[in-house]
Amino acid sequence: MAHIEKAQVGALRFNISAGTFHKFSALLTLVILVVVFSFGNAAFLSVNNGLTILLQTSVIGLLGIGMTMVIITGGIDLSVGSVLALSGTVTGMMVKSGLPVVPAMLLGVLTGAACGLFNGFVITKMRITPFVATLGMMLIARGFALQLTGAAPISRLGDAFGVLGNGALFRIVEQGNNGFPRVVFPGIPYPAILLVVVAVIAAYLLNRRQIGRHIYAVGSNEEAARLAGVEVHRTKLIAYSLSGALAGLSGIVLMSRLITAQPNEGVMYELDAIAAAVIGGASLMGGVGSISGTMIGGFIIGVLRNGLNMGGVSSFIQQIVIGFVVIGAVYIDQIRNRR
Amino acid sequence: MATASQTNTPLVEMIDIEKHFGGVRAVNGVSLDLFPGEVVGVLGHNGAGKSCLMRILSGAMIPNEGRIKVGGEDKTIHTPHDARDCGIETIYQSLALADHLDAPANLFLGRELKTRFGNLDEKRMMEEAAKVLHRLNPNFKNLSDPVSSLSGGQRQVIAIARAIYFNVKILIMDEPTAALGPSETAMVGELIRHLSSEGIGILLVSHDMHDVFELCDRIMVMNKGHMVGAHPIDEVSKDDVLSLIIKGGLPDGWTPRNKQLN
Ligand SMILES: Nc1ncnc2c1ncn2[C@@H]1O[C@H](COP(=O)(O)OP(=O)(O)OP(=O)(O)O)[C@@H](O)[C@H]1O
Ligand SMILES: [Mg+2]
Repeated sequence: MAHIEKAQVGALRFNISAGTFHKFSALLTLVILVVVFSFGNAAFLSVNNGLTILLQTSVIGLLGIGMTMVIITGGIDLSVGSVLALSGTVTGMMVKSGLPVVPAMLLGVLTGAACGLFNGFVITKMRITPFVATLGMMLIARGFALQLTGAAPISRLGDAFGVLGNGALFRIVEQGNNGFPRVVFPGIPYPAILLVVVAVIAAYLLNRRQIGRHIYAVGSNEEAARLAGVEVHRTKLIAYSLSGALAGLSGIVLMSRLITAQPNEGVMYELDAIAAAVIGGASLMGGVGSISGTMIGGFIIGVLRNGLNMGGVSSFIQQIVIGFVVIGAVYIDQIRNRR
Repeated sequence: MATASQTNTPLVEMIDIEKHFGGVRAVNGVSLDLFPGEVVGVLGHNGAGKSCLMRILSGAMIPNEGRIKVGGEDKTIHTPHDARDCGIETIYQSLALADHLDAPANLFLGRELKTRFGNLDEKRMMEEAAKVLHRLNPNFKNLSDPVSSLSGGQRQVIAIARAIYFNVKILIMDEPTAALGPSETAMVGELIRHLSSEGIGILLVSHDMHDVFELCDRIMVMNKGHMVGAHPIDEVSKDDVLSLIIKGGLPDGWTPRNKQLN
């Protein structure tokens, strides 16, 4: 027992110098960004703007959670942006054809999961590398979305369709003296709540369940995992299906916010999701990554975009900045590992 | 140590096993048996096919031809899981550990202990791992470190612990002492004696003549994919074994060592 006690204390110290270190430096970066932007523009640090950032980050956060699981297995999912579009369009078409909103949305999530499952099959059974397999799916899903809609957005989907993307919990509205409603507290946007719920579930799966342990093991040493009796194919199928399902979910959130199904949405979103995971400490070599890290990474990107926007910086410059942040984050991580 | 003919049913029989990779015949019609409590040395030069034969028995590799019997019954061993169900545990030459996970996670990989709610029971896995690891090496610390940060010897201890923790009947050790210092090697020798005294059958792949003569009841020698000799250890001398390994045959005019001079 004494041994265990000591070992655990040792472990605590070690962990702080490893994964937690990266998370801590990412968190510090996030805080510094917030402070700098707050000095630049007083409106940045308002409740309203905070909620806006939450809302804007929810889509890339959801994509990032799925991406993190896939990256931990040592893979990559380039298809999430296109799958997002396909799932959103499928949902929109279903609503348009008269299906109630909730089953239509479930169908959208299922569409995403099916795309992910297909990715998993191509990767495990056909032994195609994840990069190529999901690149194929990126084209396939986008093609389907455009073909099904004739590349035209589906609009006027009704109020119920917009609730998920535009609604909020605890919204407080007063009747103003002038007869118009006045928003006292805009409420917590549903997409943000969804993000938190999904993140908690994903972290639970990764850290407390066997499937999570196996996801890390497969990414760490696939052959060792196989020899230890881990069902490697099943583990990967689950990871890619979850990534697809979350892409579907974020598609619905995004289209609901626009109250329009846009087959052109989500182009290059996969890169934001990968960037969020990598800034948060995930390694493309597999075996390393965490949901909390990816959330911090997602918010770093979200805050950067929002703050630079408010500062009137063009979206081109924003891309340049985020590009450097990705390289910087990985570089810092490597310096730390080389020691 | 036990004598070969303690019981009549072998723990395991491999019959006419073939394995080829394209034109390379790694294992060529090899048969092997192992009795309870017996330690059989599997010898041969580099590339002779020892690891392939062992991996076939562990379910890590599927043979092109041949049968495997466990406890007298035909068994299909196509996955590591199948092998474990037969009580076959393996310490692989490459150790096969997941580098980013800690010792308990590696020890229980694929057979994780769970709580009533199906969550990972980290506490119990840590305690059990500490017990078995400390039995093998009382100084084993760093239980929560990723195993990539451990020494070769410590990693070897984890691989051994993983093989003996569960209900093992047939233990395959592919060069288990390759990364170990003298005291750890002695410890593994002790362990082999202890396990065989409990009736566990052990296949020991080794290049170390000293270990082989110290620990084994019988040897089987492979050469270019063929089994070229199977002898009780007291029948052969070191020179005989070297001749089998290098030339693929016994020296001219060989007579069993224990029957010489009388
Ligand atoms: N997966 C594989 N694909 C192709 N050839 C293989 C594979 N595994 C082994 N071989 C070949 O089979 C032969 C036997 O290899 P094996 O690993 O069984 O040798 P070994 O007796 O264990 O040697 P060592 O003492 O070096 O461990 C070698 O020629 C090797 O190149
Ligand atoms: Mg070998």
